[in-house]
Amino acid sequence: MAPKDTFFRSSDMSLTQLYIANEIGREVVSALGELGQVQFRDLNSETSAFQKTFTKEIRRLDNVERQLRYFHAQMDKAGIQMRSSSEFSDTLAAPLASEIDELAERSESLEQRIASLNDSYETLKKREVELTEWRWVLRETGGFFDRAHTHTEEIRQSFDNDEAPLLRDVEQQNHRGANGEAQGQQSFLEMNIGFVAGVIPRDRIGAFERILWRTLRGNLYMNQSEIPDPIIDPATNEEIQKNVFVIFAHGKSIIAKIRKISESLGASLYNVDENSELRRDQIHEVNTRLSDVNNVLRNTKNTLDAELSQIARSLAAWMIIVKKEKAVYDTLNRFSYDQARKTLIAEAWCPTSSLALIKSTLQDVNDRAGLSVPTIVNQIRTNKTPPTYVRTNKFTEAFQTIVNAYGIPRYSEANPGIYTVVTFPFLFAVMFGDFGHGALMTMAAAAMIFWERQLSKTKLNELIYMAFYGRYIMLLMGIFSMYTGLMYNDIFSKSFTILPSSWKWPDDIQAGQAVEASLKGSYRFPFGLDWNWHEAENSLLFTNSLKMKMSIVLGWAHMSYALTLQYINARHFKSRVDIIGNFIPSLIFFQSIFGYLVVTIIYKWSVDWPARGQSPPGLLNMLIFMFLSPGTVEERLYSGQGGVQVFLLLLAVVQVPIMLFFKPFYLRREHNRARALGYRGLGEQSRVSALDDDGDMDGRASGTRDSIASDGEGVAMIAQDLGEEEHEEFDFAEIMIHQIIHTIEFCLNCISHTASYLRLWALSLAHQQLSIVLWDMSLGGAFENENPTTRVIMIVVTFYLWFTLTIFILCVMEGTSAMLHSLRLHWVEAMSKHFMGEGLPFTPFSFKTLLEEDPVD
Amino acid sequence: MANGWSLLIGLIVVVGLGIAAWVFSPKGENQTLWRSTLILSIASCYLMWAITFLAQWHPLIAPKRADIRPDRVPQ
Repeated sequence: MAPKDTFFRSSDMSLTQLYIANEIGREVVSALGELGQVQFRDLNSETSAFQKTFTKEIRRLDNVERQLRYFHAQMDKAGIQMRSSSEFSDTLAAPLASEIDELAERSESLEQRIASLNDSYETLKKREVELTEWRWVLRETGGFFDRAHTHTEEIRQSFDNDEAPLLRDVEQQNHRGANGEAQGQQSFLEMNIGFVAGVIPRDRIGAFERILWRTLRGNLYMNQSEIPDPIIDPATNEEIQKNVFVIFAHGKSIIAKIRKISESLGASLYNVDENSELRRDQIHEVNTRLSDVNNVLRNTKNTLDAELSQIARSLAAWMIIVKKEKAVYDTLNRFSYDQARKTLIAEAWCPTSSLALIKSTLQDVNDRAGLSVPTIVNQIRTNKTPPTYVRTNKFTEAFQTIVNAYGIPRYSEANPGIYTVVTFPFLFAVMFGDFGHGALMTMAAAAMIFWERQLSKTKLNELIYMAFYGRYIMLLMGIFSMYTGLMYNDIFSKSFTILPSSWKWPDDIQAGQAVEASLKGSYRFPFGLDWNWHEAENSLLFTNSLKMKMSIVLGWAHMSYALTLQYINARHFKSRVDIIGNFIPSLIFFQSIFGYLVVTIIYKWSVDWPARGQSPPGLLNMLIFMFLSPGTVEERLYSGQGGVQVFLLLLAVVQVPIMLFFKPFYLRREHNRARALGYRGLGEQSRVSALDDDGDMDGRASGTRDSIASDGEGVAMIAQDLGEEEHEEFDFAEIMIHQIIHTIEFCLNCISHTASYLRLWALSLAHQQLSIVLWDMSLGGAFENENPTTRVIMIVVTFYLWFTLTIFILCVMEGTSAMLHSLRLHWVEAMSKHFMGEGLPFTPFSFKTLLEEDPVD
Repeated sequence: MANGWSLLIGLIVVVGLGIAAWVFSPKGENQTLWRSTLILSIASCYLMWAITFLAQWHPLIAPKRADIRPDRVPQ
């Protein structure tokens, strides 16, 4: 048992039962929500949402929340900024019940006020739009009429020709003579022509025209013009382009038909007088009414804005309060209620190390409420699998996320996160090795860490937020990249020449002469790769060999480390069969092939082959022929090699049947022995008192079991649904199949995973070559320029090019790809060696996570 | 200066550093994390250094160049 919580294992969890006095239920849950260390189990999962105890309160809070959202929507519409929630201190904890009531009442009345203001605002706005449209109609139709009146003579002629009686002409003549001043304004009425004027959205105009034409068979004269300004629809706040139209037609029934058609097409019709005098009056009237409406509108708007900004000042706080309150009642609904004793009974998982804190919190709440009945915290022994809770801090959080993305660790298994902290950035750095790029990355990460408090408050876009979330990963990646950069002797594709090289060139070199360097003696370049390799023609030949072998050795080390954790897990879960049947054979298998390969790599390096007068054997061929023709060695590495290789091969082969059969047969024997002694599987519902001590902590997963604590006596009943327990029954075939798959997978994966680490070599080669190419294509070329003036200009210009591309391509793009490869090496190559990852995540009831997941602003 | 013995000296130094990291890791609930992180880092860095050193200990090939200017032979 771990004495305290570490990052190595998930925290010890206890299932506790809380007996809470009904009066302080709300306060207790609220305090625990602030603490964020308790995961309540749902004891009423079978009751429907309506039957739960606190449904009424939740409904009420839902209503308040809706009102607050309505305010928020209104604010958005009016463009009023809400005061950010980060400006409020954390004193929003546990408001009194009366405060909630007050808030509910207040938001109720505010809602009514806002709604009425809004209503009147909208009505006024509608009125304003109507008036504006009318004004446009008046203005535009005025134009038509004026134009039309100058042509009445022609229009009349056309009528006269077909149907007008002869006499009527005379009558009209007389009539006209009688009121001479009206001569200029011959009325259309006299010609029995009516008209309809109005406004219609521009996109409907085509359909409108077509329908009119078809229904009236062309018996109309339509005139239209566009309104230059868009008209804003008060209901939707959308801008609509509209046209003014006026339609002249003959006969009342036709006019009525036109009216109907235009109304059905969404046009609004306006009353226009054909008399220009009257029209002028109308325009005047419309204008005055419009300015009146505008005045009232402005006042209403001001009042509304003032009211909303008043609300905006505290809206975020209200929203937080309501959200918390709702979460509290949701949680209370998970409790079972003891009618007789007026107590709430809750079952909850919490970290054992937090129990003291929880108890003191509950004591505080009790004291504050002045209640004599204490809240009882009871630990229950259970064989349910506890949820996995890995305590993280801001440093480990992102690393744990890497692990959790693959799988939640099983309860109390060794957490891969602990080595991921180092190996993830390190393997990244092996691929990203460049001192300069590493330094840039370190600086970026350091800046984010330096300003982390400010940055965590601002809203960042998704990409930057991801970088910010992983800032500590980035810091380690940067630092390790600087180290590996020193190892590869690369800084922005150039090399450090501080330390003396171990190579010297011949004395008299002619220009263009191909020369080969020779060693200076027993001196060797002490730190990293000799810089003389950098410019050499055969540098790739050397670095490829180095990096390839380095990948194998690092991969072997990484996988061996991960494999050892299998032993630690098996020991923790007290499963000797896993140690003997899985861990030891796996280890021997892996080491006798790939451990041997690593040994030969190191051996080959440490032998001075030219001094021996021997040509070094190829290791890859050696490994292949170790399988193909065991015992025969074509190029000898050391004496007795054949025998050793045969032995190792046999050792590896022998492990396969051990891995295959040991565990299944051992388990079957154990099972049969237990059957022989008369043990049977669990039968009907068993009733376990909470105070009973005979339950056994079982480390093995036992699936989900429903527990119902609904007993009047406050005794927990643990119902075991046998339907879900079937996997607990011993099924030899299943275990055997599982073990066969495991064995085949392990043996094949040893080969493919080792080869997979060669990506370290491939990516570091690509990164280095890309940065060399970038240098040569931009800044490097500028230095070669002959003319001093253009050289200066070129250096400045290409510097910017080079620097930008370095950041975006080499650091961001290459960095992302190296990160993904490193991620894969952890998820697939390392974690497959030991990680079970079938845990259930610990999801404590916490206001903090609640507000983080669903922020109010 | 630096020859074959460096590997051994390096190993001794690294083991010393590892022990120091174990002993001097700050106490508290993050002690395990400190120890694991420091020792793993030291081990990984040593491993990489040692590999690079070993590869150059008895080199099988020597650098070749044809672009050396007679007045500027790299030292």
